[in-house]
Amino acid sequence: MAKKIETYVDTSALIAFLDRSDTYHPLFFRLFADPPLLVTSPLVVAEGHGWFLRRYDRTRALQFIVMVESMRPLKVCSIGTKEQHSSYELLRKFADQNLTLTDAVGLYVMNDLGMKSCWSSGFHLGLTGVALVINAY
Amino acid sequence: MIRMQISLGEEEYDAAKKEAQRLGISLAELVRCSIRTMLAVDEKKPWMRYAGMVESGDSQSSQHIDDIVYGQKD
Repeated sequence: MAKKIETYVDTSALIAFLDRSDTYHPLFFRLFADPPLLVTSPLVVAEGHGWFLRRYDRTRALQFIVMVESMRPLKVCSIGTKEQHSSYELLRKFADQNLTLTDAVGLYVMNDLGMKSCWSSGFHLGLTGVALVINAY
Repeated sequence: MIRMQISLGEEEYDAAKKEAQRLGISLAELVRCSIRTMLAVDEKKPWMRYAGMVESGDSQSSQHIDDIVYGQKD
């Protein structure tokens, strides 16, 4: 039987892992050094790539992609029409928050896969009650 | 951190200094980055090679992603 994926990875966890200036770098360094099965969305990969492109350059942005490709425990899930529409519903539900579509897709994926924990340094991914790893340390 | 002294050829030193300036990092950081890139991390965990690959200087950079990617409001 396939092992259940229990943890969702948000853009902020990847950036904290890669940016040694970030307060949460030591935490995510430890977590990514021995990760369980992880899942994220293509939008998270796009945000991470965009962050490096805007803050640094194409070389660093491409290194980010290579890093994602090399991270074998991390599955990048597919986002289709059903996932998009469900995520739009979440944007409406949490219209009082500054949620990005990337956040909403994350909330949808975690709910759809019955996930129990999320690696993120922000609070938005905790809106539906999933445990944020930063609160456990 | 362990302090050490290294010797570089003049051309290597100039090239390294220019590259550090281009990347906006110190020469010491460039040397550390180069060593991390060259050294094989645990082959089973190749992604660990990229851990701490940048030093933005922002202790809350992972919480400011939206500002960078989507831009700040005026």
